[in-house]
Amino acid sequence: MRILVGVKRVIDYAVKVRVAADKKGVELNNVKHSMNPFCEIAVEEAVRLKEKKFATEIVAVSVGTKQAQETLRTALAMGVDRGIHVETALRADQELQPLAVAKMLAKLVDKEKAGLVILGKQSIDGDNAQTAPMLAALLGWPQATFAAGVEPVDENKALKVERETDTGSEVLKVNLPAVLSTDLRLNTPRYATIPNIMKAKKKPMELLSPEKLGVDVTPKTSVVSMAEPGKRKAGIMVESVDELLDKLKNEAKVL
Amino acid sequence: MLIGFNFSRRAGRARFFPPLPCPSFGAATPPPLNAQRSALLCITTTATKHSRPFVNQTPPHRFSSEPVPSPPVQFDPFNPTEEHTHLRTTVRAFVEKEVDPQALAFNRREEFNLPLFRKLGELGLLGLSVPAEYGGSGMDATAVAIAHEELSAADPAFCLAYLAHSLLFVNNLAQNGSHAQKSKYLPAACAGTAVGGMCMSEPGAGTDVLGMGTAATKASDGSHYILNGAKMWITNGTVDGQSTGDVYLVYAKTGQAAKDVSMFLVEKGSPGFRLGQKLEDKLGMRASMTAELVFDDCRVPVENLVGKEDGAAACMMRNLEIERVGLAAMSVGLARRCVEIMNAYAKERKAFGQPLNAFGQVQRHVAESYAEYMAGRAYLYYVANQLDLSSSGNGLDADGVKLYCAKMGKEVADRAIQVLGGYGYVGEYQVERLWRDAKLLEIGGGTNEAHHKNMVRDLRKHHERLL
Repeated sequence: MRILVGVKRVIDYAVKVRVAADKKGVELNNVKHSMNPFCEIAVEEAVRLKEKKFATEIVAVSVGTKQAQETLRTALAMGVDRGIHVETALRADQELQPLAVAKMLAKLVDKEKAGLVILGKQSIDGDNAQTAPMLAALLGWPQATFAAGVEPVDENKALKVERETDTGSEVLKVNLPAVLSTDLRLNTPRYATIPNIMKAKKKPMELLSPEKLGVDVTPKTSVVSMAEPGKRKAGIMVESVDELLDKLKNEAKVL
Repeated sequence: MLIGFNFSRRAGRARFFPPLPCPSFGAATPPPLNAQRSALLCITTTATKHSRPFVNQTPPHRFSSEPVPSPPVQFDPFNPTEEHTHLRTTVRAFVEKEVDPQALAFNRREEFNLPLFRKLGELGLLGLSVPAEYGGSGMDATAVAIAHEELSAADPAFCLAYLAHSLLFVNNLAQNGSHAQKSKYLPAACAGTAVGGMCMSEPGAGTDVLGMGTAATKASDGSHYILNGAKMWITNGTVDGQSTGDVYLVYAKTGQAAKDVSMFLVEKGSPGFRLGQKLEDKLGMRASMTAELVFDDCRVPVENLVGKEDGAAACMMRNLEIERVGLAAMSVGLARRCVEIMNAYAKERKAFGQPLNAFGQVQRHVAESYAEYMAGRAYLYYVANQLDLSSSGNGLDADGVKLYCAKMGKEVADRAIQVLGGYGYVGEYQVERLWRDAKLLEIGGGTNEAHHKNMVRDLRKHHERLL
């Protein structure tokens, strides 16, 4: 069983993003980037499934600029066996869109004969949460999104997946092959150890392009303008509980 | 469901502000042809923009997915290879999540955080410079500088304990020990199950190290040596305050000449080896344990002699070089944190209706601190990038970089306190602790005066004309 994992390079979660001068997006230059946190969780889950002997090989895919290779190296250092970099100059947070990525992943699933795909539930830049469902649809495979627990069942022919929904926890059984997307509570990703960082250098990385995969990546939507959220106004102090209730009732109209 | 997530593993203490970007990073346009010249010191290429021949050409269509030719990678002296970058990001993430949050409490209690130290072993940091066959990570002097710089930004005291173990014991044995000795001691030391250190200074011999009084004599049957003497200021000399740490490399005189020094492996529980005293009331570095260790007719088996009898002076000098690079890196790391803290505070805090950083006096503190920090950092990586751990004779710059960086770190920490005023003087804002810790780096691993002496000796002999 081969697992395909998607990893995306995004602006680091701790960076305070700024709107770029041309108002067409956030500033990407001189900003720290790292692996999308949900993708880290996907990698961790794949590595755990391999440690449980459920999988024999893990292949990580990253679509993006040259620097996406750094993200792939991180995945390799965490325990992935080899990487595939699909290079594109598109801005990964806006121009590289879920359908195009899903189509490329579908081609790679076919090429690699993967039996399971694990993706993050969303990337923290575009926040679309669409790639995994689109990929499942393109492949005609079952999907379990927002996974918070994964367990192989039926002699590794299916997965029992706990998923978090707005109304509570749901348990699904999906037959393999399948597509999973990972939620935050699925696991805590490991740190890449230093010896594994050194070993990652020697692991193979294949270089591809959207053209080679025969996928048109032209964006279907474009950003017209982007603006900072409005500044929050300072609060006020109230004199008494009565005044507070009055304001909640008559000004804020929340009571 | 899509909002409000909290990345628990990484949700460490909030950073004051994102890391200072290296100006040469993230340049979206190909660098000009003469970028090579400016690459070494990581200077922006804006000054040369006008000479770029293709600046007015229409850019390629934005939506072309053809891989654009990548700009030639500029040399980054602080992260010369991808592995170094990876090491730095890994250690920094670990430090923010695990080291920062514990620093105040452990330093206040003057306690060594052994569980956290063991986690360094799991990460592969304890044997950073050790070949994989002995349980290490097989990295180089630059990696050593990166690890110390990153750890020290959060907790110099914890980093000092790390240095004493990973450089003074582990790296020293890896460079100078026999295969049998390395196989016996290094795997546990790399994993962190054994805590080690090194014994050089004595109550009456510091800078004058070859004037040490501890002596080893071979027993008449040739099976063991007898060590007598006392060693002082031993970092990791104790872990619990009650007994010695697990294993040490001990220098002792084996002959009459000044350089007749030998090195021995001495384990906890060896007959005649004991904790003299745990040293209390240190100005800083309070989360690392410092002790006096005593050897009273201490029996050490002959197989624990490291290298040749009377042959350890060269080992000592070689290991001092990487030790000094590590200590310089600690100064650089704590200076970075001080610059971050004072910069953030000067931006937020207002006086007379303006942020502090609108005042020239504060601007001077912040700007000079940043410039000196970057100068120290550039010198540090210049030395580290060229230092072959198996070589010796790099004393001039190993002394020089520590001499410069130790003073730089102390002064930057001092300015950080000054910018923060009263807040800087109390522990919660960290710079008070970094200031106390910074002072040790002008004393440990060679006093400033020892560096002066060594450097002038080298300059007089070998460097009449500088390259």
